[in-house]
Amino acid sequence: MSPPDDVRSVDRDEIRLSLPALFPYGRVARLAVTGLASRNGYSYDDVEDLRIAVGEVFGVLVSEERPAARLQLTCVLLPDALDITASRAPAAPIERITDLSRQILGAVVDDTAIDESSGRIRIVKLLRSSP
Amino acid sequence: MSLGDAERDEQRALLETYFRTRDLAVRDQLVAANLRLALHLARRFSNRGVSLDDLEQVASLGLLRAIDRFDPSRGLEFSTFATPTIMGELKRHFRDKGWAVRVPRRVQELHLLLNATVADLTHQLGRSPTIAELATASRASEEEVLEAMEAAQAYRSASIEGRSAAHPESSDLQLGVDDLGLFEAENKLLVEKLLAHLAPREQLLLRLRFYEEMTQQQIAERLGVSQMHVSRLLSRCLDDLRRRAEIAQDQA
Repeated sequence: MSPPDDVRSVDRDEIRLSLPALFPYGRVARLAVTGLASRNGYSYDDVEDLRIAVGEVFGVLVSEERPAARLQLTCVLLPDALDITASRAPAAPIERITDLSRQILGAVVDDTAIDESSGRIRIVKLLRSSP
Repeated sequence: MSLGDAERDEQRALLETYFRTRDLAVRDQLVAANLRLALHLARRFSNRGVSLDDLEQVASLGLLRAIDRFDPSRGLEFSTFATPTIMGELKRHFRDKGWAVRVPRRVQELHLLLNATVADLTHQLGRSPTIAELATASRASEEEVLEAMEAAQAYRSASIEGRSAAHPESSDLQLGVDDLGLFEAENKLLVEKLLAHLAPREQLLLRLRFYEEMTQQQIAERLGVSQMHVSRLLSRCLDDLRRRAEIAQDQA
């Protein structure tokens, strides 16, 4: 029998954040994610990319017209990547995502999965090379 | 505010040393020598509902920025260069009605210092530095460096939706007209072909800058990064693009 998620997560660099779904908390999310990235030696340019990506995810998931109660962020630091999943709680579909937002995410991270119906966005940023 | 010949020569030597070495002790001397100018300019904006303390702090930041950007080889007097930079900083302070998030002075200063440090280290190492390397070079902790990077965000107006409220004026760090020439209609096909060779991040920036015709400041605000970062990335990828264009022309 495999151990429950919480036990498994002890073994890996993972942080889970539950934030009020309000724009000013984007700063908290960005600092947490970039703090984790800098632990793994991501470069300044890549950390800036992650800041842009988390800011964009916030911009897409936080809606002033249809406010969600919370935003859940799970960040897993793998040996060669940072894997971030963001979703609304309670779950709600994404009402609007612009082409520019898609382009920005596509440009600054290595993999993006946007599930509009469940309001969930997953981004992955690879760790390119060690200095 | 005028300097004697001996003082002027001494200041010029300090500016040249700082330009070459980015030695913080030299920068401190330059700040001390020019603080009077910054405070004088700050007082011009007093009695407008912002405390003189705050104005002096903003003017000092403008002075730091001017010292970091000053290029002695251009032959300008430092005060001629610094005055519009400090005035610009003060005007922007009024326009933005202060920092959207209270950013401690230490972090504000580090934010400005970071721009120069990133450029220097990138040049020295031949790659983008890590946060740990930046922290060591700036004599700060990694957390402080990350906070300082966030300060670019705090300097915007309050809402993340400030996307449409980009500053209308062009930045003083715009790319030269020559750079825009590359993007003129007759080059479009070649540029499109060359763009495909660039990393997605670079492609996005060039599209925003030259096809959407956003200023560097507008791009920085939209993405929530500093204008210096946008400027650095753009000039890097334009160099790359120009190199590829030359190779393509040679082959043709």
